[in-house]
Amino acid sequence: MSFSLRSVKVPPNSASLEEARSRVFDFFREACRSIPSVIDMYNLDDVVTVSRLRSTIASEIRKNSHITDPKVIDMLLFKGTEELNNVLEHAKQRHHLIGQYVVGRQGLIQDIGTKDQGISNFLKNFYTSNYF
Amino acid sequence: MGLGLLASKALKPTASRLLSSQNPRSLLFLSRTVTSTPELQKPEQAAQAQPEPTPDLPPRTPLAGARVHFPNPDDAIEVFVDGYPVKIPKGMTVLQACEVAGVDIPRFCYHSRLSIAGNCRMCLVEVEKSPKPVASCAMPALPGMKIKTDTPIAKKAREGVMEFLLMNHPLDCPICDQGGECDLQDQSMAFGSDRGRFTEMKRSVVDKNLGPLVKTVMTRCIQCTRCVRFATEVAGVQDLGMLGRGSGEEIGTYVEKLMTSELSGNVIDICPVGALTSKPFAFKARNWELKGTETIDVTDAVGSNIRIDSRGPEVMRIIPRLNEDINEEWISDKTRFCYDGLKRQRLNDPMIRGADGRFKPVSWRDALAVVAEIAHQVKPEEIVGVAGQLSDAESMMALKDFLNKLGSNNVWCEKNGMFHDADLRSGYLMNTSISDLEKADVFLLVGTQPRVEAAMVNARIRKTVRATHAKVGYIGPPADFNYDHEHLGTGPQTLKEIAEGRHSFSSALSNAKNPVIIVGAGLFNRKDKDAIFSAVEAIAKSAKAVRPDWNGLNVLLLSAGQAAALDLGLVPESENCLESAKFVYLMGADDVNLENIPKDAFVVYQGHHGDQGVYRANVVLPAAAFSEKEGTYENTEGCTQQTVPAVPTVGDARDDWKIIRALSEVAGVRLPYDTLTAIRSRIKTVAPNLLHVDEREPATFSTSLKPQSNQELSSEPFGTAIENFYMTDSITRASKIMAQCSALLLKK
Repeated sequence: MSFSLRSVKVPPNSASLEEARSRVFDFFREACRSIPSVIDMYNLDDVVTVSRLRSTIASEIRKNSHITDPKVIDMLLFKGTEELNNVLEHAKQRHHLIGQYVVGRQGLIQDIGTKDQGISNFLKNFYTSNYF
Repeated sequence: MGLGLLASKALKPTASRLLSSQNPRSLLFLSRTVTSTPELQKPEQAAQAQPEPTPDLPPRTPLAGARVHFPNPDDAIEVFVDGYPVKIPKGMTVLQACEVAGVDIPRFCYHSRLSIAGNCRMCLVEVEKSPKPVASCAMPALPGMKIKTDTPIAKKAREGVMEFLLMNHPLDCPICDQGGECDLQDQSMAFGSDRGRFTEMKRSVVDKNLGPLVKTVMTRCIQCTRCVRFATEVAGVQDLGMLGRGSGEEIGTYVEKLMTSELSGNVIDICPVGALTSKPFAFKARNWELKGTETIDVTDAVGSNIRIDSRGPEVMRIIPRLNEDINEEWISDKTRFCYDGLKRQRLNDPMIRGADGRFKPVSWRDALAVVAEIAHQVKPEEIVGVAGQLSDAESMMALKDFLNKLGSNNVWCEKNGMFHDADLRSGYLMNTSISDLEKADVFLLVGTQPRVEAAMVNARIRKTVRATHAKVGYIGPPADFNYDHEHLGTGPQTLKEIAEGRHSFSSALSNAKNPVIIVGAGLFNRKDKDAIFSAVEAIAKSAKAVRPDWNGLNVLLLSAGQAAALDLGLVPESENCLESAKFVYLMGADDVNLENIPKDAFVVYQGHHGDQGVYRANVVLPAAAFSEKEGTYENTEGCTQQTVPAVPTVGDARDDWKIIRALSEVAGVRLPYDTLTAIRSRIKTVAPNLLHVDEREPATFSTSLKPQSNQELSSEPFGTAIENFYMTDSITRASKIMAQCSALLLKK
């Protein structure tokens, strides 16, 4: 509980991009350190490994790598900390974590990208829905 | 409101301050309120003082697009409606004159398509020099008549009528299905009194059983007799009538009997109150929570204009739309009540039949891959495509293009069978057009029972027969008609006699001014169809039925897809291709001879209902029904119309043309269109008339160009094309209401 109290408080704004950047790395390290306890807490050891989760966190952060405004980075950082906090406080359930971080956005469809090469946009849209 | 308050203040003695104020508006109003009206005290003086109300009033638009047609320009008379002069032809009623002038007269019993009863007295107006208010619906307008529709006398008369009507009308609007679209409700709000003087008991009437379609709550009836007049005049059944007198007067069937008409649902629309409502729709929805989509009907070849009322993803009811050229304002019971079939037996996932004979749901990807693989394993001439009777023009174009790319040209629309005279449009269309049937004076029906094949066309013929006493001759098996007709014979032999002038009816035909010959599309399946058509053409020639100003040679088609299929050239290349097929593509086709398909053939069924075609299919591809897609249909007279999606598709279904377009890509013969616009521009190169929406495109050349057939007429009598009016396609066969109708109403 002490962890949550410490991290949810709003830190002062980053003065420069450099400072924001180092804060992101601090956050990443903190998240990585909590992975073993998360796996333990949610019984995830049969579906995911520490390294897979670590790369998921890294890719989530890299999704925003184009952002250069320190204020926006601070905001995203706050949201990330909040999310991590929720996970550690057991505010989520096992399927939330599996859905968001283990299976990922693509869902269970794993074969996309292999068969769909070389087909038209029409056919791609046709496979997803009737309305396009 | 503000002015009214001001005026009432001004009437008080303390109004001197207001009077001296510089507000011109309040002064104007004040003078209008306070000064007495001299006209009321001394009418003759006022008439002298005010000569004629000058027609500087802004021109008013006629109500509901009411049009004035002057058959003879000399017969025009001028009447004044509220001081506004209108020119109308002689013989119009006062109510019609008011409609032309843009004044809506409240009415219950008057209906423009029915005879005039004049018994509700709601349409009372004041006419100058008449001692009492007159019922405007029954009073012919006379030259120079001065009609006043909003005088105190007219208003008081309406209020009195309203009070009498409400005396015996139950106050059950909260549980009444008509609530929200009730004429009585609306008019009592507009013209009724705000209080009643009624203290006694209301009368009650026993409900009648009119069958599975019309629910009756007879206590609500106001005895307008619209339903009685509709049944006798339009539907042509003498089932409904008025019983009793005075306060014991009630509508009913004379004996315990159901209403057996194919148009009985229309009494729901014409009933001004909630006495006759839809039984399947009872307590299902309120009319203000429904979304209306203006589309067309596909259950027969007429293409009636309908509105689909839906709530969310569910079709709640179907009601007619006005189209003078096609269905006027009626629709058949099949059109109106087939909608529950759209919710039952639907296909919602692509499925492949496994080795155990059971269907297994698969993804679209797998289903299309399997179909494409098999299509490449067979020889091109062993590929056959059949479009169903509900197919739209876009999907039939795609199907034909797809099969042609695979190397086959064996594609047709199921009800057309082996009919292959698609060269001349006049050979398969109703050339007279449905509305022009009213001009005919002799009808010859060859192998067609219009009452079951196209109820709206039959209603036109009945209207003509009723109005002009046109003669009707019929060749075919004994059938039900709701007008006078002459049963000439049962088979081609009679046709031959008429063609050779040996029959008594041929003189009636040749003496007719505008003869009409209607050939049923059920004859398309006969072996001697060419001989029949040339016999009919010979009759038309001797009766002069085809002239530059009149074309009386017609074919009455059976299903919505037929005309467009023939326009697009969906004709089979060889007669027996189905028997030798290895790969059969059924696009919603359920009525082909499925037993003719060889056992080893691979059958793909693309459609929206699990009907007969699915039993034989190896792969099922779910498609959208007419209520869910945008599609072009051509009706039997050659009028192109489009459906509009009212509800979303069910499950994983797709639009028909999209499925074929996707399949063509998987099969490696990609069709060059990705959008509806692109496929329509492809249609434009084949049949440009299918792009002229809501227009009737008459055939250019007459059938006289066709070479004479030397086929022999067989002696086999004509058959019936439709056995059961209520169940003709996959939607109506899935409908529970239609099943009830066929169980109860069909004469066995």
